[in-house]
Amino acid sequence: MYGWIWRHLPGNAWVKALISLVLALAVVYILFQYVFPWAEPLLPFNDVTVDNQ
Amino acid sequence: MRVIVRSVSELCITVGTLIVLFVVYVLFWTGVKADHTMSDQIHQLQNQWSRQTARPKAAPTPTAPAKPAAYKDGKPFAIMYIPRLGFTWNKPVLEDTSVDTLKKGLGHYAGTARLGQVGNFAVAGHRRTYGNPFVDFPELRRGDAVVLTDGTTWFTYRIDKGPYKTVPTDIEVIDPVPRKSGYTASGRYLTLTTCDPEWGHSHRLIVWAHLDSTQPVEAGKPAALRR
Repeated sequence: MYGWIWRHLPGNAWVKALISLVLALAVVYILFQYVFPWAEPLLPFNDVTVDNQ
Repeated sequence: MRVIVRSVSELCITVGTLIVLFVVYVLFWTGVKADHTMSDQIHQLQNQWSRQTARPKAAPTPTAPAKPAAYKDGKPFAIMYIPRLGFTWNKPVLEDTSVDTLKKGLGHYAGTARLGQVGNFAVAGHRRTYGNPFVDFPELRRGDAVVLTDGTTWFTYRIDKGPYKTVPTDIEVIDPVPRKSGYTASGRYLTLTTCDPEWGHSHRLIVWAHLDSTQPVEAGKPAALRR
């Protein structure tokens, strides 16, 4: 998977490395902004009230 | 064969990284976000209150004081101070106890009494994650002060009983006169709830308090908050 991405990125090794870094940051951003906030309430730490069950 | 081995190892690395990132998010990032939102809520309240106090001087009304505005869902209406949890510990109290509200501060159970009124003013807060507001909840003891302000009045509650451990379905702990609290007559009570164990959801911890004193904000901070 990662090899496939690396082979399909344009440019020389430096450009590829830079694009990979940007892609990785974008993935982390999406995770922190959208995916984790959705997943976190599914964990039990949110159950602090006595009437929601 | 090689392709399969490589793909599986890449998948394992990806899943591992995801889990580490998620742990970082839950333990650290929710706290950063919550601290930011909570201080935002407190500023918002303080701005609102300073505007309110400026207004009545301009137009004094001789009629009876207007009925206080209803609490708006998801909006802050008070600030809570608990010296036992730290001298700088202060959190906004918002109306309702939805998941989103509790990310921004403590949540007032909709349908329980208003701050300082006869009945039970019940508030829930996170033990862990989102700034860990009630992480030291088990340290609370009889006689500890829970101080709240709604911008016009300081309310000092004194804890009578707790932390009392119960199950999540035990909704009578937020009754106007909670049976297990030892109170027998109606009064101005406060209930705090959080989860127990720290990272679990099998039980709840409860403390009960009664309204000890009130004073207008013009009179300065109540004794419990002075050092």
